[in-house]
Amino acid sequence: MIDWSAFFVVAAAALVSSAIVVSLYSLGLRLLTTAGRIPDVEPAEFTGAITVLTPARAAKNAKRARKARKANPLTANQKRLAQYAGYLCFAVCGLIVLYGVYLIVPALHD
Amino acid sequence: MDFTLIVALVIALALIFDFTNGFHDTANAMATPIATGAMKPKVAVGVAAVLNLVGAFLSTEVAKTVSGGIIKEGDGGIQISPEMIFAGLIGAIVWNLITWLRGLPSSSSHALFGGLIGATIIGVGAQAVAFDVVLAKVILPALIAPITVGIVAFLATRLAYAITRRDPGKPDGRGGFRYAQIFSSSLVALSHGTNDAQKTMGVITLTLIAGGYQAVGSGPQFWVIACCALAIAIGTYTGGWRIILTMGRGLTEIKPAQGFAAETSTAATILASSHLGFALSTTQVASGSVIGSGLGRRGSTVRWGMAGQIALGWLLTLPASAIMGAFAAGLALLGPIGILLDIVIGTVVVYVLFQWSKRDRVSHDNLHDIDDAGHVVKIKKTPRKPSRKDRQKVAL
Repeated sequence: MIDWSAFFVVAAAALVSSAIVVSLYSLGLRLLTTAGRIPDVEPAEFTGAITVLTPARAAKNAKRARKARKANPLTANQKRLAQYAGYLCFAVCGLIVLYGVYLIVPALHD
Repeated sequence: MDFTLIVALVIALALIFDFTNGFHDTANAMATPIATGAMKPKVAVGVAAVLNLVGAFLSTEVAKTVSGGIIKEGDGGIQISPEMIFAGLIGAIVWNLITWLRGLPSSSSHALFGGLIGATIIGVGAQAVAFDVVLAKVILPALIAPITVGIVAFLATRLAYAITRRDPGKPDGRGGFRYAQIFSSSLVALSHGTNDAQKTMGVITLTLIAGGYQAVGSGPQFWVIACCALAIAIGTYTGGWRIILTMGRGLTEIKPAQGFAAETSTAATILASSHLGFALSTTQVASGSVIGSGLGRRGSTVRWGMAGQIALGWLLTLPASAIMGAFAAGLALLGPIGILLDIVIGTVVVYVLFQWSKRDRVSHDNLHDIDDAGHVVKIKKTPRKPSRKDRQKVAL
């Protein structure tokens, strides 16, 4: 029959590892945004899943964004700290991905 | 029939199956980054093809245990003949093409197992199939895996949105998830290469061993690895655009944060399962995580009709390819004429399916002009190409 213990180990490992990676990367984005360095990544191509805003709406959003950036209560040092902490989060994510590659290649761990 | 000829035929068919496997499964890794615009469609399938090629060379673990004990071959069991493998492959290829035509992400491994099981039942008898192993290793995981990974992806999506949530109107930087998507989907593609190309290598090696061309118990030879790697890479690059459409847009609207959460869950689940020796279908895991991430974002909807069609496709995959494999095996039992008939009928079916697919062509250049997966109808051209100004006004 099905090996339930192996199944639960797989489910738990998948849950914990993806939660850690997603949290870290999100935290990295959050820290960069807090530091005022909003990571704007344009889509490589416009797809059906992407909503293009009307110019008026977009201008309104941009104005709000500028205002939010101006009203950033953090000092320059705090901003820098948040920025580096964000980069640290991305770096840890990268290491976890490299660990994934290590797991894929049996030659590396046998 | 000349033994060398049938071995050559099996190898050729195995490589064709590998090709269909590749283009069937491009969507697993690349549907979500294409849907969110993280990568251009052509770039995405190119990356996936290269990683599948590399992945196929990285590991031969799966190839050594390909039949997974489902067919009791070898010592004390029944020798499965090259004719039966040949028939099984025909069943698997035809089913893969039918599901592709319908845009359904179905498991290529299930098609392969189904075809082989059907052929074995006709060629040898039902006692040669270990049904308890089929239940434990194929059917139950197929039911449980998508639900489990769906829950994982749901939670991951919730986390991603909760952590990046800011007051309305303030920029949240969620576009940054697009960068991450490139890496997470690449990881899925790489692990696919290490898993799926192996199955074909295993089939070819099994045939070579059965034909006495290779020592019993030895691993796949280098030319086998190279051919399989190339076949799956070319298949991946060809891109099963219909399935990409279903996975990327047919199930739910995917935003970058969701795409990243879904791919990470897929990669984590596949890595954990293959590392712990618990084989799961990449396709089912990927579909489950897309649905999970669709449920995870507030205000998004999951098209359950589409999800139901996909689930039905999964249920049908094993029996349907088994029936086709059994039919091909029945013909193959007639001897050389039967084999020839198999080839002719197989070629005609494949040709008809390809002609059918031309009626509503889906490819990288018209991917975004198509309304809804499942009803692949071209609706209208994009009204105009978004200008550079528009590109900066993207809502996430």
